[in-house]
Amino acid sequence: MISPRWGKILRDLQATRGRMVMVVITIAISIFGVGAMLSSYTILMREVGRNYLGTNPASAYLELDRVDDSVVEAVRHQPGIADGEATSWVLARVEAKPGEWRPFLLFVIKDFNDLRINKFAPEAGAWPPPAQTILLERDALKYINGNIGDVIHVQNSNGQEQEILISGSTHDPGLAPAWQGETAYGYITPETLAWLGEDDTLHILKVIVKDQEQGSTVIEATVGNLVDWLKGRGYTVGEIRIPPLGEHPHQSQMNTVLLTLMTFNLMTLILSAILTATIINGMVAQQIRQIGIMKAIGARSAQITGLYLVLITLLGMVSVAIGLPFGALAGRGFAGTIAENMNLTLYSESIPMWVYIVQVLMGTLVPLLVAWGPIQRTTRITVRETLNDYGTTRESFGSRGLDGWLGKIRGIDNTLILALRNTFRRRGRLVLTLGLLAAAGGMFMTGININAAWKQLIANAAEIRNYDLEILLSSPENAEKVLASISSVPGVQKVEPWNVMPVAVGRPDGLEIVRTYPDGGHGNLALRSAPLESNFLESTLLSGRQLEADDKDAVVLNHMAAGKFFPNVKVGDSINLTINGRTAAFRVVGIVRQNMIDPTVYMTPAEFAASTGLPMQSINDVRVSLKGHDVDTVNSLAEEIEHVLEVGDINLKAVLSETMLGNATIGHIYIFIYALLSISVVMGAVGALGMMSNMGISVIERTREFGVMRVIGAKSRIVYRNIISEGVFIGLMSWVIAIALSLPLSLGIGYMIGNLSFMVPLSLIVSPGALVIWLIVIVFGSIAASAYPAWQASRLTIRETLSYI
Amino acid sequence: MLSQVKNHHRKFLEDNPLPIRESQLIELNGVTKAYDVAAGKFMALKGIDMQVNGGEFVAVVGKSGSGKSTLINMITGIDSPTSGEVFVASTPVHALDQEQLAIWRGKNVGIVFQFFQLLPTLTVTENVVLPMDFCNVFSPRERRKRALALLDKVGIVAQADKLPSALSGGEQQRAAIARALANDPPLLVADEPTGNLDSQTSDAVIQLFANLAKEGKTVVMVTHERDLSRYFTRSVTLSDGVIVEDGGCKND
Repeated sequence: MISPRWGKILRDLQATRGRMVMVVITIAISIFGVGAMLSSYTILMREVGRNYLGTNPASAYLELDRVDDSVVEAVRHQPGIADGEATSWVLARVEAKPGEWRPFLLFVIKDFNDLRINKFAPEAGAWPPPAQTILLERDALKYINGNIGDVIHVQNSNGQEQEILISGSTHDPGLAPAWQGETAYGYITPETLAWLGEDDTLHILKVIVKDQEQGSTVIEATVGNLVDWLKGRGYTVGEIRIPPLGEHPHQSQMNTVLLTLMTFNLMTLILSAILTATIINGMVAQQIRQIGIMKAIGARSAQITGLYLVLITLLGMVSVAIGLPFGALAGRGFAGTIAENMNLTLYSESIPMWVYIVQVLMGTLVPLLVAWGPIQRTTRITVRETLNDYGTTRESFGSRGLDGWLGKIRGIDNTLILALRNTFRRRGRLVLTLGLLAAAGGMFMTGININAAWKQLIANAAEIRNYDLEILLSSPENAEKVLASISSVPGVQKVEPWNVMPVAVGRPDGLEIVRTYPDGGHGNLALRSAPLESNFLESTLLSGRQLEADDKDAVVLNHMAAGKFFPNVKVGDSINLTINGRTAAFRVVGIVRQNMIDPTVYMTPAEFAASTGLPMQSINDVRVSLKGHDVDTVNSLAEEIEHVLEVGDINLKAVLSETMLGNATIGHIYIFIYALLSISVVMGAVGALGMMSNMGISVIERTREFGVMRVIGAKSRIVYRNIISEGVFIGLMSWVIAIALSLPLSLGIGYMIGNLSFMVPLSLIVSPGALVIWLIVIVFGSIAASAYPAWQASRLTIRETLSYI
Repeated sequence: MLSQVKNHHRKFLEDNPLPIRESQLIELNGVTKAYDVAAGKFMALKGIDMQVNGGEFVAVVGKSGSGKSTLINMITGIDSPTSGEVFVASTPVHALDQEQLAIWRGKNVGIVFQFFQLLPTLTVTENVVLPMDFCNVFSPRERRKRALALLDKVGIVAQADKLPSALSGGEQQRAAIARALANDPPLLVADEPTGNLDSQTSDAVIQLFANLAKEGKTVVMVTHERDLSRYFTRSVTLSDGVIVEDGGCKND
C-alpha cells in the first residue's frame, strides 16, 4: 500500500489535473522552444560545415593566362601545395522567361569523373554532360524554371546566343543558392564552352594548401611562393581569390541566424525559469494550509519539502516527455527548411546527446532550483502562520504606500475597484507574473520590431537607389555611343555613365588577393566611378567629404568597404589598392553609409581612367532611370535596351533591375526573418500559457474570499466579473512593461545583427502591429485564462468555498 | 556542533515520549505573547502562570479575543511565547525550534481544530494514518489496522474509505479526533472542536473527549459552550490575556 503522504501527492495531481496539465504544457512548451532551437542550431552548425567542407573547397583560386595539364601536375608537387586542379568560369546570360535574361555563371570542368577540388555531386540526368549539353545546379534549375531535357537560350560574354540542352542537374553546396544570389550556375566541358563561342582555354588554377588550417597567413605565404614559381615559368598571374577558410559563402548569414537563435534561446530559458518559479510559487502557496496541518500532526519540514520536490520532479519529467520529442521534431523541421533555402543537404538529422541532456535538466533541475526557495520559505513558516493564511498576503492590505493610493480610487464600479486592489495583494507573485508576461511580450514585440527594422532597412536601401536598371557591359565601350543608344529608347528618362572594376587591397608583396568565392560575389571589393553630379545612388556622409572634380589620388569608401577591408582607416589616411595588377596609394577623403551596397571604393571618372588605364571615354557600367517604375515596364524596357545595344554591337554581361536587387537582398535575410517570427510565436505561446496557469492559481487560492463575497450578497456574475477584471488589469500592466522592455531589446539585438550582417545597426522601430497584436493576445489571454477558474469559483456553494483548504 | 545537539535532542524526543500519567504535565510560567498590529503592540497573553496535571480535562473559556487560542497554541508549540516558559512533561516547548517541535508534537500532542482540517485528497483512513507515516511509528502494516481501530473507537469506521467531503461535520470532527489519537499521544489539545457542529453532535464529540480523559489522556480544550461544563474536570477562564478564574467543574 502506498503511504498516505505519497498518496496525497498523487491525488493532489489528480484533483488539480486541469491546472497541472496547464503547468505541464507550459513547461513543455519552454522545453519545446529550447529543444527546437538547440536542435536546429546543432544540426545546422554541423551540416553547413559538412556540406561546404565536403566539397573540398580550394584554399585559393589563381587567375592565369592559361592553365594546362603540365602546370597543374607541376603545381601539385610544389612545396606546401596538397592538390591542384584547372577550371574556368565564364559569366554568360540565360533566358529564364521569354525576353528575361538572368546572370548565368558557367563552370568549366575538364573531367567530371575526377573532381578533386570544389566537388559537386550529380543529382539527376546525365553525368558527365554529353557534348553541347549542360548540367544545372539543382537550385539554379528552379531559379530559371527549367527542367532536365529543356533547351535553354544562353548568351555568351560576346553577346552570341546559343540553344543548349539541359542534360542533368547537380548539387553544389559550395555555392550560395541561385535564388539568393540572383545568378544561375551551369557546368560544361571545355568543348561545350568552345561550342558556345568562348575561348576554351582554362584560366583558373585551384589549389589546396597543405597547412591551410593554420590560417590565411600560411595560405597567402604559400600562394605567394607559388605565384613566384608560376611567374618564373612565364605565366601571368592576375587576381587571386582566397575565400574565408572553411566558411560557406553564406556563413555570416547563417551565423546571424544562429546567433539570434541562441540569443532568443537564452531568453526562452530565462522565461521558462520565471514561468516555472511563478507556477511553483503559486502551487505551494495554494497548499500552505495543508502544509500547516501536516506540520501540526508531526510532519518535519524536510518531509514536506521532499513531497513537493518529488511532485515537481514528476511534473518536470512529464513535461520533458512531451516537450522533448516535439522540440526535436520542430528543430529538425526548422533545420530542414533553412537547409533547403540555403541549398544544403542534411546528411544527418541527428541531435547530439547533450541537447537532450540540457532539456532533461531544464525540465527537472530548473523547476527544482526555482522551487527550492518558495518551498523552503513555506515549510519554514510556523504552523500558526500557515493556519492563519487566508490565501493572500500575510501582510494586511493597507500596509504600504501603494495600498493607500489604491484605497483612494473612487468613482468606478466597486467590483473593478476590488479587482484593482486585489491585483496588488500578492506582490511577490504579481512581480513574477508581470515579469513572465512582460518578458514574453517584450520578446514577441522585439521579434516583430526587428522584422520591421529589416524591412525598413531594405526599403531605405531601395530608396537610395534612384535608378531602375544597371547594365554591365562585357567590355569597355565608347560612352557616347552607349548613352546615345540607350537614350533613344522611349521610356528612358536618364542615363548615366558609370564604371566598375574588381580591386584588391594592396599588399607589400604585390599580390592581388581578394576574398571572393568562385561565384564572384561574397567578399568582393569593387572600384567604381560615377558622374560627380549623379544622384542615382544616395549616400550619407559619415566623415570627410564627397569627391570633387579636381581630386587626385582620392577615394571615398562606403561603410562596408571601410568596415570589412580598411577597419582602422580614417579620413586623411592613405590606402593601397591593386588595380589591374598595379598597386597604388590613394587618400581617403570621405566615408559614406550606403545601406546594403557591397563594399565599394569610389573615385572620380578621371581618376578611374587614370588608375585602370581605360580610356576616359569608355564605360563598362550604365545606370538608367525610367519614366515608369513598375516591374512590367522595367522588364519590357530592359528588353528594348538590350535590343538596341545588340543592334549597336555592344555586348552585355548582365542587366540588373531594382526588382532583382531587391529579391537578392530579401533572399539573404529571408531565413533570418523566418527564424525571428517563428521564435516570436513560440515566445507568445509560452507567455499566454504562463498567464493562464498563473491566473488559475491566483483565483483558486482566493476561493475562500469568493465564499465571503457570496455570503454578503455578491451574485455569481459579480464574482465572475471581479476575477476577469483582475486578470485583465494584470495583463494590461504587463503590456506596458513589455513595451518598455522591448525598446532596449530591439535596440540591442538590432545593433548586434545589423552590424553582423550589413555593418549597420538596425533602426529602432516600434511596430504598431506588434503592440496591437500583443495587446489583443494579452487581453483575450487574460479573459480566457480567468474565465474557467472564474466560472468554477462562481459555481461553488458558499459552504464549499468557506471550507476550502 | 549545533546540528549534533539538535540530533541528540531529536533522538531523545523520539526515545522518550511523555509518560501517560504524571502530575503537572503542563506548566506555563509568566507566559506573555505580544503581536505587532497596525496600531502598535497587542498583548494577547499577559504573564500567564498555569499548571495542568496528567489526566485532567481542562476547558479554556472566555470571550473572543481573550487569548484562549493563543494560550493553547503556546502548549502545542504552534506559537511561541514572547517571554516566559512552557513545559510539557518537563520538555521546554518554548526552547524548541520548528523542526524539533514537529517531531515532539507528532508523538506527544494530538491537535483537533474547529474546522476539522482533514486533508481533502486523502480518505478518512489515510488521514488517520498520515501522522504515523510522518513520525514513522508502528509498522506500515499495523498503521491501517490501528487507524481502523481508532475510527471504530470514534464511531465512524463505516466511513473509513470515504473522502472527507462525503462526511458530515460531526463525522469529520470524529475523524479529526481519530487522527489526533493516531500516535497515541498523552495530550490532546482541541480548539473549539464543537464550534462548527450542532448541539447534539457537539455533545457526542465532547463525550468522546471525556471518555478519552477517563482513559488517561490529558485534554485541554478551548470552548465557548459553558453548558458543556459538566464534562470538564476544570475550567480556566481568560479575559484580556489574563486568567480571571481557575476552578473545578461540575464533574460527575
